[in-house]
Amino acid sequence: MARAVAVDVLLGLAVVVVLACSAGVLLMRDAYQKLHYVTPVSMVAPVLAGLAVLVQSGWTAASGQAWLVVAIMLITSPFLAHATVRAIWIREQGGAERATADPAGNGERR
Amino acid sequence: MTAFVVAAIAMLAALIPLGVVLCRARVMSAVVAYEAISSVAVLVLMLLAEAFGRPGEFELATVLAALLLSSGLVFARFLERWR
Repeated sequence: MARAVAVDVLLGLAVVVVLACSAGVLLMRDAYQKLHYVTPVSMVAPVLAGLAVLVQSGWTAASGQAWLVVAIMLITSPFLAHATVRAIWIREQGGAERATADPAGNGERR
Repeated sequence: MTAFVVAAIAMLAALIPLGVVLCRARVMSAVVAYEAISSVAVLVLMLLAEAFGRPGEFELATVLAALLLSSGLVFARFLERWR
């Protein structure tokens, strides 16, 4: 009984995080602000879902694979967010060549 | 219908606003929405594998989680160069 309640609570929290972040991505104005709402989807919700699987199944092969997925997402998400922000910034600066030639963005070319 | 199936269906509902952003927003906002959609898809696959009691299907979620990084990096790398 307690295990089922714990699973329900963890899954409910994961669903709330995902729904709230999808609303945030929809409502925010630009890509920088929208990207802030991707991070909880890829960092918080997987941990909650992995905990739910762990509580449901215990230490089994299934929960191990679930935590492998969680680990991959936890490791890769910061790199992807950084690459995305970098791409947005370079596009705003006018392209890769200009960003490389003028990293300070003050309009002077080397 | 277990709690895992209900949670997976509820997470699929989150794809609707993300799909709106993907279709209607500017290109970098669409990339951000694509990354969020991929993350939600990984979660849905993981929850459905647990719900149906098929440990082999966790491999789908594992592969998609790995491809999430590579595909996102491809989009970011090309869109920063091509307008």
